[in-house]
Amino acid sequence: MRDFRFLTPPTLPEALAMLADLGEDACVMAGGTALLLGMRQRMLSPDSVVSLHRLQALKGITVDPTQGLTIGALVRHADVARSPEVQRHYPMLADMAQRLANPQVRNRATIGGNLCYADPATDPPTCLIALDAEVTLVGPDGTRRLAMRDFAVDYYTTALEPGELLTTIHLPPPDTMRVGLYRRLLRTPAEHRPVASIALTLLRNGDLVSDARLVIGAATPAPQTMIRAQAFLEGRRLTPDTAAEAAALVAAEIAPLSDGRGDAAFRRQIAQVNTRRMLAELGGHDWRLE
Amino acid sequence: MTRHPISLTVNGEVITAEVRSAQLLSDFLRTELALTGTKRGCETGTCGACSVTMDGDVVKSCLCLAVQADGAVIETVEGLGTHDAPSALQRAFMEHGGLQCGYCTPGFLMVAKDLLSRNHDPDEAEIRAALSGNLCRCTGYQGIVDAIAAAAKELRHGH
Repeated sequence: MRDFRFLTPPTLPEALAMLADLGEDACVMAGGTALLLGMRQRMLSPDSVVSLHRLQALKGITVDPTQGLTIGALVRHADVARSPEVQRHYPMLADMAQRLANPQVRNRATIGGNLCYADPATDPPTCLIALDAEVTLVGPDGTRRLAMRDFAVDYYTTALEPGELLTTIHLPPPDTMRVGLYRRLLRTPAEHRPVASIALTLLRNGDLVSDARLVIGAATPAPQTMIRAQAFLEGRRLTPDTAAEAAALVAAEIAPLSDGRGDAAFRRQIAQVNTRRMLAELGGHDWRLE
Repeated sequence: MTRHPISLTVNGEVITAEVRSAQLLSDFLRTELALTGTKRGCETGTCGACSVTMDGDVVKSCLCLAVQADGAVIETVEGLGTHDAPSALQRAFMEHGGLQCGYCTPGFLMVAKDLLSRNHDPDEAEIRAALSGNLCRCTGYQGIVDAIAAAAKELRHGH
């Protein structure tokens, strides 16, 4: 890795001014676990690295009954996983954060850094889209708020404009009627990066499903919302047959990646199988018996 | 290229140094401080041989710049115990065959220390989850799991 200017702005306005000044020659560093790998492999060779670690204002987690959950971009995955408030009100998010990557990385890597790097083989974007998350972006032209699904644009590509920083992740207030499951699939238990990840949340209206969110990531260049399966589930009972039909729609709709860790056909198959199992589980059925 | 002044605490000792921006914490510990207990393995964040604790949390020192450790409190395997007075955890590794070639051992000891600082009574699944970022090429995992369970028991009973 070659040397670079290492800059540590003490405030957000100073960080933004630095980025405006440096333009494309700078990389932003949060925890640095992913960025350093990219730099060591010479995929990235920035002249300057702007480290945000002094921006204390981006390191908090707050829960408010009307505003919902607010997570600063520099909150580490371990902090999300260990937060009693997140565990209590957003168990699906805490569970995801507790299993992402490995313990040492969870102690360094941040949720904002993860979202901005947009590596497809990761967990937070898929989970956050299914939880209706939004992100706040601050840049030279002011502040804007985007749905997470619109932020995760493509393979290693986000909606961030040059000079913009992601400052905050927002989740709506907890809805006790909504149930959810997040699942990550690994090629081997020793791997840290999922080959597919599935996030599912839905409202129960008596026996019937309403307003399902079904998002699949890691298998795809960016998380993909399974629109056909979601529409199919509306108003149905979660029977084993419903689960199988919705899973077949996932197989038809998903546009998977092919890479060294798995080809598209493999990823399509594991997405289908696991979607069926998760829906069956939420319906109270043991898929092992069917 | 400019060098960056840093000040950090390593195994209880305050260190000041000037480092290149691209110097990794693992490299700084080994070459500048001669703390070669911290191993360089894959250097891509996979194997965990370079694990140290930073402000009480175990991290991979190959995924961290030395400049990022400015102001931090670092503990390496050298801080755990000595040859004549090993820690309970180190003794347990010896007694339960928690090492074969020994190259991965410092990393495993540091994640085990992190685990036991948060969880005094981990079950086997929790121990294995804590070890998920570390590789042992000798595949001596069972001995490592047994050693950590035994150390937890000993620490609970307060020897």
